[in-house]
Amino acid sequence: MPRNLLVTLYLLLAGPAALAVGTYQTPDEFLNQAFSGQPPEAEVIWLTGAHKDAVKDILGHRYATLRIRYWRDVTRSAWILDEIGKEQPITVGIVVNDGQIENIRVLVFRESRGWEIRHSFFTDQFKSAQLNDDRQLDRHIDGISGATLSVRAMTKLARLALYLDAATRDRDVAPAP
Amino acid sequence: MSRQRPRKQRFKLRSFYVWHRYMGVTAALFVLIIAVTGVLLNHTEDFQFDSHHVKSSWILDWYGIKAPAQLQSFHANGNHITLMGDHLYLNRREIEGNYYRLVGALYLPDMYVVAVSDSILLLTEEGDIVEQLHAEDGVPAGINAIGTDNNRRLVTAGSHDYYEADRDFLKWQRRESGGESTIWAEARQPDSLLTASLQAHYREEVLPVERVLLDLHSGRFFGRAGPWFFDFAALLMILLALSGTWIWLRRRR
Repeated sequence: MPRNLLVTLYLLLAGPAALAVGTYQTPDEFLNQAFSGQPPEAEVIWLTGAHKDAVKDILGHRYATLRIRYWRDVTRSAWILDEIGKEQPITVGIVVNDGQIENIRVLVFRESRGWEIRHSFFTDQFKSAQLNDDRQLDRHIDGISGATLSVRAMTKLARLALYLDAATRDRDVAPAP
Repeated sequence: MSRQRPRKQRFKLRSFYVWHRYMGVTAALFVLIIAVTGVLLNHTEDFQFDSHHVKSSWILDWYGIKAPAQLQSFHANGNHITLMGDHLYLNRREIEGNYYRLVGALYLPDMYVVAVSDSILLLTEEGDIVEQLHAEDGVPAGINAIGTDNNRRLVTAGSHDYYEADRDFLKWQRRESGGESTIWAEARQPDSLLTASLQAHYREEVLPVERVLLDLHSGRFFGRAGPWFFDFAALLMILLALSGTWIWLRRRR
């Protein structure tokens, strides 16, 4: 009985934090799901020049790496991006279709708080979101109390994916014959 | 008899007042330390005490913080890529992040390629991270050495197999052998000047200012007896409050 009580206490107190940290979906699984088991070959975009400034404007700081890889078929592109919530990077997978967010999903969560952002009640808000001229989402995203920094990180990554999609779409579309 | 009582009471009050004064002087230093560190700790985030580190060598010595004597280092393009503890350096510049197991480092045109933490880290000549490639990016597992073949392509050697990467490190393919012309990265210790500089830098990145403030506030900074001194100071402060109130009440009568 005391043991059961201890386990219950642990789950109540430490459980949420312990359960929050982890890999919810591997990047491979995410890409396979996004492209029906046949992801296209990876391409890269270099964050130099105007892209570097734009990314800094969106994130409020420069991105951790100088190049980002992505996967694109005709109108859809998939992005696996990292952004720090409070102290640790959150890895998020985002599929953009024709300039709108089709799917956004937390892949790896490393923080001890704010894991609620992985639930569909939150991520569904991003569906069909687009970027306006100010590089902001065209809609308001409701926050989650106690997960402010994670919500902010997720919103920034959604904006970043939409920006990068637009930047690479122009580049990747073959000129008309 | 009636004259003796007030004199006795006056003497008692004076004696109490003297004790109160001595207790106040004794506690003053502790009060200053506790008050100043307490105020600073209340503003840890404003002053970023949790992310700033102590650089004073005597404080670092006091805490017994030492840099690792052993380090792994590779020489490429005239520069050293060194792993000390979990810190990775390009010469004296620290690369963002924490790392383990440096397997090799080499220079390909415009870029350093570093095999570290079971991944391939691509760095610019200035030490900015271009990308960190992991298993999901196609990086083979269990890399034991890296080198360049005669086409200046990256070759990796595992326990049993060899792989090569394309020029953008997007595709990896297995190859039959390492190749006779492949030049493998070999470890080379940096000179004593660079080693000393990295060791000094390493020490300066270990101890957050917040830790020192907390230890000063609790007395732990002063060793094992420190908390007992601060407990004693707390007791003095309680007595000061009581004796001060008592003196004030007696004087009012």
